[in-house]
Amino acid sequence: MATAVQTRAKRTFRIGRLIRPAIGVVVAVFVLWRLYTVLASQSFGPDTWVRFAISGLVLGSVYAVIALGYTLIYGILFMINFAHGDVMMLGAFAGYFTLEAFNGAGFLNKNLPSAIISVVVAFIVGMSVSLVISIALERIAYRPLRTAPRLVPLISAIGASLFLENVAQLTFGVARHTYTNPEVIKRNIGWTLMVGGKEVLVAYTGVLTFVLSLLLMIGLYILVQRTKMGKAMRAVAEDKDTAALMGIDVDGVIANTFAISGALAGAAGVMWGLHMGVIYHYVGFIPGIKAFTAAVLGGIGNVPGAMLGGLVLGIVEAVAPAALGMPFQLKDVLAFSILVLVLIFRPTGILGEVLSGKKA
Amino acid sequence: MNVRLASREGLLTGFINLCCILLGLTGLAGTMVGGWFHLSSRQPGAWLLLLGIAVWGGVRAVRRVPDPSRNKTLIAGLVAGVMHGLTLAVSLWLISTLLDAGAEVRKWLVQLTPEAIRLLTFGLSPVAAAALMFVVMTTAGLVGALWVRASERYPWQRTLSKGPTTVRTRFLALPAVQNFMQRKHSQQILWGGGLLILLFFPFVLGQYWNYTLGTVGIYVILGLGLNIVVGFAGLLDLGYVAFFAIGAYIVAILTAPAPHGIMMNFWLVVPIGIVLAALAGVLLGIPVLRMRGDYLAIVTLGFGEIIRILSKSDALTDFTGGPRGIRSVGGPGLFGFDVSSEFYFMYIIILGIVLAAYVTLHLQQSRVGRAWMAMREDEDVAQAVGIYTLQYKLLAFATGAALAGFSGVIFASRNKFTGPEDFTLLVSINVLCLVIIGGMGSIPGVVAGALVLKGLPEILRQLADYRMLAFGALLILMMIVRPEGLWPSTRRQMELHERAEQSGEPDAGSSPETGP
Amino acid sequence: MKKVFVFLTVVMVLVTALAACAPAVKCDDEWGCATIQKGQTIKIGYVGPTTGDYSNFGIDISRGAELAVKEHPSVKGFNIEMVVEDTQGTPEQGAAVANKLAADPQVVAVDGHTFSGSTEVAIPIYDKAHIVMMSPSATNPSLTKLGSAVFNRVVFHDEMQGKFAANYIYNQLGVRKIAVMHDGGAYGKGLADMTAGFFKDLGGTIVGTEPITPGETDYSAPLAAVAATGPELVYFGGYDADAAVLASQMASAGLKGVTFFGCDGTYGKNFIDLAGEASEGAFSTYVPIPESAAFAKFKADYEAAYGDPQGKLSPFSPHGHDAMSILIDAIEKVATQSGSSLIIPRKALADAARSTKDYQGLTGTLTCSDTGECAAAAVQFMVVKDGDWVKGPGQ
Repeated sequence: MATAVQTRAKRTFRIGRLIRPAIGVVVAVFVLWRLYTVLASQSFGPDTWVRFAISGLVLGSVYAVIALGYTLIYGILFMINFAHGDVMMLGAFAGYFTLEAFNGAGFLNKNLPSAIISVVVAFIVGMSVSLVISIALERIAYRPLRTAPRLVPLISAIGASLFLENVAQLTFGVARHTYTNPEVIKRNIGWTLMVGGKEVLVAYTGVLTFVLSLLLMIGLYILVQRTKMGKAMRAVAEDKDTAALMGIDVDGVIANTFAISGALAGAAGVMWGLHMGVIYHYVGFIPGIKAFTAAVLGGIGNVPGAMLGGLVLGIVEAVAPAALGMPFQLKDVLAFSILVLVLIFRPTGILGEVLSGKKA
Repeated sequence: MNVRLASREGLLTGFINLCCILLGLTGLAGTMVGGWFHLSSRQPGAWLLLLGIAVWGGVRAVRRVPDPSRNKTLIAGLVAGVMHGLTLAVSLWLISTLLDAGAEVRKWLVQLTPEAIRLLTFGLSPVAAAALMFVVMTTAGLVGALWVRASERYPWQRTLSKGPTTVRTRFLALPAVQNFMQRKHSQQILWGGGLLILLFFPFVLGQYWNYTLGTVGIYVILGLGLNIVVGFAGLLDLGYVAFFAIGAYIVAILTAPAPHGIMMNFWLVVPIGIVLAALAGVLLGIPVLRMRGDYLAIVTLGFGEIIRILSKSDALTDFTGGPRGIRSVGGPGLFGFDVSSEFYFMYIIILGIVLAAYVTLHLQQSRVGRAWMAMREDEDVAQAVGIYTLQYKLLAFATGAALAGFSGVIFASRNKFTGPEDFTLLVSINVLCLVIIGGMGSIPGVVAGALVLKGLPEILRQLADYRMLAFGALLILMMIVRPEGLWPSTRRQMELHERAEQSGEPDAGSSPETGP
Repeated sequence: MKKVFVFLTVVMVLVTALAACAPAVKCDDEWGCATIQKGQTIKIGYVGPTTGDYSNFGIDISRGAELAVKEHPSVKGFNIEMVVEDTQGTPEQGAAVANKLAADPQVVAVDGHTFSGSTEVAIPIYDKAHIVMMSPSATNPSLTKLGSAVFNRVVFHDEMQGKFAANYIYNQLGVRKIAVMHDGGAYGKGLADMTAGFFKDLGGTIVGTEPITPGETDYSAPLAAVAATGPELVYFGGYDADAAVLASQMASAGLKGVTFFGCDGTYGKNFIDLAGEASEGAFSTYVPIPESAAFAKFKADYEAAYGDPQGKLSPFSPHGHDAMSILIDAIEKVATQSGSSLIIPRKALADAARSTKDYQGLTGTLTCSDTGECAAAAVQFMVVKDGDWVKGPGQ
């Protein structure tokens, strides 16, 4: 009996080992074939490819900043904070109101310093609002559920997400809102590159988004790796009981984590508004899901991984449909396929897991 | 120290009150209270809500006082009231001044209509209105403080969370019930009786309730399927809707006159739908089931989205009907009779639920069920004792997918229509919520969860625009009050309570519920 | 066991008895009559997405309908109650709501449904329940071809719009190469496909087709792909929010100087507010609402009651108003008083709605065809000039 089971298991196992290479070969052949057809048909010039890449990098860097927040919270609580995207949405609204107020007071376009101050203040306000909401969320919806089974906080997070979306719809209305940018960084002005004899626009807001997201990532990395607070966070991620025994205030560390991730979400929201322009009450939902995908793609719990995952996802969404000769309607299909493929070949994501080794 | 805490409570509740005004909840309360008592004015309801929250602020502030003497209580209440009043008065002054200056506040904050503000200001000047608000709210804070002194703290939360369970245990402890349970065929009689009642159900209900409860029934089947995947095998599936969609599209493609005109018999399509959905489950499962718990969640979520996007994409429009979907989906016939009305579908759904429940029970109590349980608790140990986990995971995935396919077939055939908008991520989330709200791993729990989850939004319809807001808040509240679900399986309830008793300190560490 | 049976028998008997107690009313209508007792209201359903992604449409149209009820609050002394039901834009919820309304004997008519998908699912249900429909905004051409006796609409359907748009683009604007984009929805894709078909028939070229994912705020990549095909004009089928994002990102994606041409879903103040300067020169289709005293009053009432300027959330609030007014008018025509109650014969009501002739609505003079097309048959192409919609050239 036992041997029969064993041999059967062994046989299946062998088949299982064949699956991975088989999938790899099929995907590689498909991709190469499509790529060849597209490139041979020359439907896109080099300028178009550069445009795709820029669009992907900017989108990816916003995903990355949201993903950083996901990764932090997951690393510590092993919990998918479904409402994270909505925290970002509220941050975007806070930034929007700040800029509207500056604009209403006529301060926005007075001179260059006033524009810079307005944008900086918008970021600060957006980040603080998101930070407060994130902490409140943890206090009200997640902290009472620390001991509950793991799916219970997930449902609570889903409830929080619905709640926040509807709060925004009811207070700010169903109409969409357009960000008022200072004149110097209006959405459709920027540097012009010449690629293949054609002009390609690199918007200032896009560059701002990209650079800022890199800075935030580096800052967060230093915070987690170099500071005392980061050390405490890592300890809590590793083992809460032991951390508590070592005199670490676990609740405080978790609240700090939520604060940081909320601030990051707020920054992402303001970046989103400045670059994309349009915000409304559902604006956070899809980026939230994409950011979680990005966090998993890069290896959840890993700060540089989230950044990398975000950028990869953004570029895949912007470049892959064109490269494979598919309509852009299918970009999410490709994005999720990439996720599945990466996880099949690297089950812990591109960079693996760093913040904590032990996973439930 | 106490003053600081009390003022914080006052600020907090004042802020909550402000949010209520910005959300338009004051107006809603006004309308509802006015409707109940046939009042012509909305003011009483609005002020009832505002005062309620202010009193609550006072109560909260007093609870912060460690040894409440009378003076300390009063001071705490006063401080909370003053802070609360200040918050509201300043905001009200600001808003009404802006309005008076002709600023279009509504452009940004849509609920701040002139009528809504008039509810609060009584048409007074900004300063007077703010002063009135301040005085009233301060008094309310004091009232809250006095109220705490007057009454002992009522342990409502504990009662609420223990309530249903005690009712059940008390019911089971009744002598008559005990007597009945000890008789020989008590189980069979119970089941038979339940079934009979179910069979008479559709007669009593009208079309609307047959339809609504039919939807609940479809969600029960979905829930039973997902319960196997999440509750038994511990695999977090966020893309369960994919299999539901596969079932629905198969019946639509095979029985509808367009786009393919195959028009097969409904009863032939049912097994095809089930088998193909199960097959899809296996095909998806083979590559992804090796992944860890939450990785699986996002991958399955992606799979659900892929199916939905593909079904509406231009590329497959000729095959799936694209965004318009497929209409005139065939219904079941029986000996030449058309039995596709809501009424007959109720029977098909009941039959489906009974079948699904039977399969679930059977699996749960078999070797397979024990293997799943072992796997859910600790995958490494399960593997070590010779359980080939991948096989069992695949089995769970395929069974769940088959049940989803089955309910998809019923769903599309009953609506006579299927389209991509019916298979959004929200469906997966709803099904997951109902399994967890009901109590993971428990079959009656799934039924209770489906009733609550599909029933609540219907009941909440009278809240109009505020229903999804209320629904979200209720989801959170329900999880906090009863994390084990409405009707938990006895085993899980024991686990939870055991853990709570073992460690007074919150154990936020990994629990073995889902992660492999 | 025996007791259970006894219990069930009792229940059954009671239910039958209750059913038999329903008051008998004189009614010689083929489909039966709705009887409104004294003190009850005549219920007219309004169905649309009031929460969710497309809530701006649902809420806006419901406001139009509500204003119509305010103008005409009662029929023969019986108050009219508008029952607002939310579909969240999905067909499933559409069916659920239709069943709910169908089960209420006081519901005699429905202003809706708002979207074609949910309407399609609902038509068979109302057909069975004999509830007359007047949709303000379900534009799919096939809806009136289902042979339903209860479905009517006051909105222009997509096939006509597509034909006119293709013609206008080819003949008036003199454009020969267009790219087609749509939001992948039933409405947007249907319209875009039809326009593309007619444009090809006229001899034009479709250089590219690019469906997008609705609800996003970054379409620079699909726009870059469209730019690579070198179109003279981009036709878009979808709604204003997505259209505004597309229009404002076109220039930076390499489509500078290319005309953006929308449809009736993209018309409205909202498009200009969202797209800002980038909206300049963009076209859209518009079923012109003739300037009239009634319309001016409607606009004023709307803004006074809801704060938003009329036309900001969607262009369809006048349609919601007209659909509701026609329904109330039809009820007024057929309802008869019998004792203290009001009798509304259902078949006569459906016929009355369908035989609407020369009705002076906000959207024009409405006359229903045999299949239930009641829209005023005119369409206009509008272009944004100096931040406002003006009539396009050559009309």
